[in-house]
Amino acid sequence: MQRRGRIGEVLPTAASIAVALLVLFPLYWVVRRAVSVDGTTELLFRAENLRVFGNTFVLVVLVTVASVVISVPLAYVTTFTDVPFRRALTVLVALPLVVPSYIGAFGFVTAFGPRGELQSALEPYGVESLPEIYGLTGAALVITLYTYPYVFITTRAALRSVNPSVVEAARTLNSKRGSVFREVVLPQVKPAVGAGSLLVALYALSDFGTPAIMRFDVYTRVIYVNYNTWSPDSAALLSLQLVGLAAVVLVAETALRGRTETRGGGVSGDGESVVELGEWRAPAVVACLVPPLLALAVPVGVLFLWLFRGEASYASGGGFEVETVYNSVYVAGLAAVAAAAAALPIAYTSARGGIVGRFAEKAVYFGYALPGVVLGLALVFFGAPTRLYQTIPLLVFGYIVRFLPESVGITRASFVQFDERLAEASRTLGSSPRKTFLRVMLPLVTPGVVAGAALVFLTTMKELPVTLFLRPAGFETLVTQVWSAYEEGFFGQAAVPALILVGISALSMLVILSMEKYEVG
Amino acid sequence: MNDGIDRRSLLKYAGIAGAAGATGCIGPFDGGDGNETDGTGIGEFIGSGPGNDRPAPEGTSVEDMPDLEGTLTVYSGRGQPLVGDLFDFLESTYDGFEIDPAYGGSADLANRINVEGSNSPADVFYTVNVGALGSLSESGRTVALPDEVLGLPREEFRDPDGEWVGTSGRARTIPYNTEEFDEGEVPDDIFAFPDNESFADGMGWAPTYGSFQDFVTAMRILNGEEETRAWLEGMVESGVSEYQNEQIIANAVADGEIVAGFANHYYIQRVLSGNPDAPLGTAFTDGDAGSLFNVAGAAVMDTADDEELAANFVRHLLSAEAQEFFAVRTEEYPLIPGVDPLGNLPAIDELNPPELDLTELADVEPTLELMRDVGIL
Repeated sequence: MQRRGRIGEVLPTAASIAVALLVLFPLYWVVRRAVSVDGTTELLFRAENLRVFGNTFVLVVLVTVASVVISVPLAYVTTFTDVPFRRALTVLVALPLVVPSYIGAFGFVTAFGPRGELQSALEPYGVESLPEIYGLTGAALVITLYTYPYVFITTRAALRSVNPSVVEAARTLNSKRGSVFREVVLPQVKPAVGAGSLLVALYALSDFGTPAIMRFDVYTRVIYVNYNTWSPDSAALLSLQLVGLAAVVLVAETALRGRTETRGGGVSGDGESVVELGEWRAPAVVACLVPPLLALAVPVGVLFLWLFRGEASYASGGGFEVETVYNSVYVAGLAAVAAAAAALPIAYTSARGGIVGRFAEKAVYFGYALPGVVLGLALVFFGAPTRLYQTIPLLVFGYIVRFLPESVGITRASFVQFDERLAEASRTLGSSPRKTFLRVMLPLVTPGVVAGAALVFLTTMKELPVTLFLRPAGFETLVTQVWSAYEEGFFGQAAVPALILVGISALSMLVILSMEKYEVG
Repeated sequence: MNDGIDRRSLLKYAGIAGAAGATGCIGPFDGGDGNETDGTGIGEFIGSGPGNDRPAPEGTSVEDMPDLEGTLTVYSGRGQPLVGDLFDFLESTYDGFEIDPAYGGSADLANRINVEGSNSPADVFYTVNVGALGSLSESGRTVALPDEVLGLPREEFRDPDGEWVGTSGRARTIPYNTEEFDEGEVPDDIFAFPDNESFADGMGWAPTYGSFQDFVTAMRILNGEEETRAWLEGMVESGVSEYQNEQIIANAVADGEIVAGFANHYYIQRVLSGNPDAPLGTAFTDGDAGSLFNVAGAAVMDTADDEELAANFVRHLLSAEAQEFFAVRTEEYPLIPGVDPLGNLPAIDELNPPELDLTELADVEPTLELMRDVGIL
């Protein structure tokens, strides 16, 4: 166990395998259920499926590319330039992540759809109809607006660890801004962009709410329709295809990422602005404002409209329960802590390379790629025979399966950045591996662990399908209140919990950004 | 939001006061005569509103039903904003009776019961989706209800095999703007709408809404796929506007944004509850899919710990008090004789819905395909 000054390897490796197997567990049901279907092959290769595959593929690619195009320049502007209000802009650009995409989608349809608020407002001026929001355009637009911050956050963190003096030197040698960015900065942040893109791509693959509201036939929507029309066999087969597509995305990301990780030595350049924008200051500010304002103003505006419109039909029904705020924060907090703990061994082993670590790191993404309703049913299948069913522990386990990769990604980055020579020094001075880990390594990786936990907290707060399937009887949270008020047509009642949800999540976004001393990749 | 909290704590307070024989309850249900019920009357749970001047509901009172005792897990496809207070009422009526509600989407809950298998915690499944009830009874997951329960509502609102029973109803209607039309001017034939000039470019529908899809399914079953397709295409050609749901349609008709639409009857009532002077009327078609009458219903699951308790709970949903709650609070059609629907709605006997086995409405897939083909989904 004490090879070459390394910290004990057996325990973290064993823990990684255990965590990976646990979160892969629900996948077993998906496969088993699909295999047990009669006439598998003909159902599997229907022409209809090809269309769904094509739609899904195009949506995932569009959303991923758009997120990179928005995020990378904005991350650069908010780290390396003298753009005014830099801190405020950083928070604002990251903020759309706190809005659940289904609320965003409904906001966009309410505002821009046929007979929507915008068209009604413009009607006196002779505007009879607006460009079509439904279909690929709307789905891609909405998912991009609420997920691009994944790429922004990871890229920004990596940019902050790029040594400003290197950039300065490059600028002296070659004064063109564009080429400095391309040749010096971009290669260093490529793994981080890849990690963020992976979260975006798999989110686009698994999101059910947005394509349903935007009426775009992707796997999730068709799976859901199948469940609603009592065709569980078809749903099971499509779920399996979706898992296959997730595997393709994972392989593609690994290939694109390459093995170009810069290890250790990541003392963060503390945001010294090195690029003077000059006359580009105003356009840069505008570029930073457009995506978040679009993403935030539309749904929040619609929510306030419902709240203050004052029509009785929007406001009647049961009241708002303060307890739901506590419940939401409680389960999201548990999920955050548990995910941080589960991510530690995987982040540690995979940061050191090696087959187990790499396998475990990829394995955790499958739960994230599964549509919530499929994961929900899988956990119902395993949970129902046990005493854990409809208890908080199983609910929290469901959240971990869904969101572990968010925590693994950021935590792993801080391990990659950790300078191994520090551990060696500690060992030379006679500390045990355990002591070295606790006293030297852990304090240095803590910001990454905390930021990962905060990200899991934020996404758990807004998670809907697993919450609906696995929460204990009588246990209501903010999202379940939003959902049921919306479902019954009491929009005014959906507004209050939705706004509280967005507010609390915004606070955890501040935690994530204040922990930005790690590199992500 | 404060309103809701205050009202809730008020209810608790009223519950104590009610047991002490204080006033503030309606009808014969205020627990003043004898101490069989220790809770407050249903009136406190219905709250103030348009139902205040209603006569006391007839039918079997909760007091004359078997006591409920124990804990019951109810999988409810009807949300807490709708039925939460009714559950609270039943819990407050009996010491030692508790409901563990699992709220969720109706189809989600039915799928969940299937996957849970024999380990399902569900005692009762309660939903607006008769197709979900039919699907579970078909796979043998429900148990037959006793005759005392099945006998409460009118005959057409229960499963012929006795596996589930309707608890409240909703009618498909034509909400229309009363400043644009007199009552007699609205066609009573659903097939007259696409070609009627006075409705061109002035109607609204909500194709993504479940009840609208049920209506299309009914038309498909009654008139066949070709006629249904022609009707859908005719409406599109006549410039029908699309809305997100039927509550917004009722609002839009009242606001004069459109002249009429297709919606469940209670969305009209919700607008009228808030603004009784709104120029909004309810019209019915005659004996076709346009006047489909569908129900919310409940079934006892084969996994129920105590089938008798579960059946008695379903029985309570058909009590005079619960039916009054549905009439006033959820603005639905009560299904037992002696409790009237809200406001100026015609009684059930005056409606002329099409003859249709409601469980056939479970066959939505061809409907969705048809609607997609026409390009409205």
